[in-house]
Amino acid sequence: MKKSKVYYVLLFIVILVTLLMIFPFVWTIVMSFKTDNDIINAPLALPKVWNFDNYVRALKTLNIFAMYKNTFIVVVTTQIVSLVITFMSSFAICRMKFQNRKIKNLLYTYYLLGISVPVYILLFPIYRINIRLGVLDTLWSLILPYIAITIPFNTLLFVGFMKGFPKELEEAAIIDGCDLIHLCIRVVVPILKPVIATVTIFNVIYNWNEFPFAVTYISSSANYTISLATSMFKGAYSRDYSAMIAAAVLIMIPQLIFYALLQKQIIAGMTEGAVKA
Amino acid sequence: MLSNKKNIILFSIPSFLFYTVFIIVSTFSTIKYSFTDFSGIGKANFVGMENYKRLLTDEIFIKSCSNTIIILMVSFLLILPISFFLAYVLDWNFKGSSAVKALNFTPYIIAPVIVATIWVFLLDPTMGVINNALRIVGLEKLQQEWIGGNTKTPYSIGVVYAWQSIGYYATIFLAGLKTVPTEIYEASSIEGANAWQKLRYITLPMIKDSIVIVIVLAVNGALKIFELVYQMTNGGPNHKSETAVTYMYYIMFKSGKYSYGSAMAVVVLVACMIFTLIYIRNVKDNLE
Repeated sequence: MKKSKVYYVLLFIVILVTLLMIFPFVWTIVMSFKTDNDIINAPLALPKVWNFDNYVRALKTLNIFAMYKNTFIVVVTTQIVSLVITFMSSFAICRMKFQNRKIKNLLYTYYLLGISVPVYILLFPIYRINIRLGVLDTLWSLILPYIAITIPFNTLLFVGFMKGFPKELEEAAIIDGCDLIHLCIRVVVPILKPVIATVTIFNVIYNWNEFPFAVTYISSSANYTISLATSMFKGAYSRDYSAMIAAAVLIMIPQLIFYALLQKQIIAGMTEGAVKA
Repeated sequence: MLSNKKNIILFSIPSFLFYTVFIIVSTFSTIKYSFTDFSGIGKANFVGMENYKRLLTDEIFIKSCSNTIIILMVSFLLILPISFFLAYVLDWNFKGSSAVKALNFTPYIIAPVIVATIWVFLLDPTMGVINNALRIVGLEKLQQEWIGGNTKTPYSIGVVYAWQSIGYYATIFLAGLKTVPTEIYEASSIEGANAWQKLRYITLPMIKDSIVIVIVLAVNGALKIFELVYQMTNGGPNHKSETAVTYMYYIMFKSGKYSYGSAMAVVVLVACMIFTLIYIRNVKDNLE
């Protein structure tokens, strides 16, 4: 692209768009240092003094440790189980010899159907399943459906990727006397590393931020996830806006740092998840 | 030898069970109850299409659907051109382009609940940044009840959803643009094509798949918006800012009309399925 006037004009517009995109973040951080009085009476002014009182009050109300612990337990447990079981079922679909080949395609299509199911249709039936299993209002009431929700998407990616690599490697390993478990762990899983990374990024971001299930199944504040606790800010801080904003910043910052460190992988993973599939 | 029946079943069973119980059985259970008068407890009596007929006369539901369509249209009109434009310029690989890409992508990884919490302070009619900025520059006339009023909330939600996802869709477009071989552009330059002609006759046709993906994902995402509304207005005032999904949630879990809510859920399912099937047809090719 030769650097004409148009080039610089378009570039300038892109920078403007980018500034608009990050403005809400910057503004939130600025506001988190203002007093309640200033937020209501001088909404556009910068804070007179940069004080951390808001953060102190935010931390008093917010059980930040429990929120992170709960979210972390849910996300990690879901991810481990989901990776193991979807790897196994995708391996079966892709690599094992079914007596009837049609069953393979049928099974694959059966899993893919799940992609089009919006979670809202599942809320009440799973609510009843949770009651029956006796897990309602525990972290398991989230972990179990989260695992199920990841299956269609992960199957799509795993199968799509496995189709693409040659069977010779596995055949050689089998001739060398490798059994099924060792074949999977030593030969297949290492080849799948890139797709495992993509799937993990996709699932973790989704489950970390998930809200509809959490708000429906969790009621004890001790079991609140991050999203759920955030939704309670209005009640928790009533009219203490400055503490509420500080709390939002406290929740955002770790996520932003995590994103800053891994942004290349995250962007690539999220995009591949949508495009390659 | 490794593919004996025992191994196949062992490998297939866990996913199959989870998926069947939580997704398939649950979906059919909702569909089934949408034809009954089930209230969550007690017996369910078959009532045929009664719940669906009621939907057609429920003014709040019709309002909710029209709000969903407004959100869809507004976000669509913003997402498609802006994210394509971003991708188009990012594809030049100028200095700092990866930073620009990362910054635009940032809102997408933040939980929608937090996004809503932040945006309340921009959109709130009295303490929000937008109305106060308008007042300071003397444009009081343009001040609006961006959220919480009678009419504007769905438009604002559409803008917020677009804000959150534009960076994501831009990277999908960008991935598509990277697949267009540069030789074609070079050849067309020699033929004397200008930038507009290249865009119209080379770029757009060659990234058709990316365009389909973005359209389908954006529409699907907009149909499923829940947290933004739940957190900003909770459907209020008087259900005026409800979407199909939030109203369904209200009917099911706040007023306990389970079977009626199920009928709404089925409508949402059908809408999502139509768009997702287009998506799957595009990405899935047969196994063998």
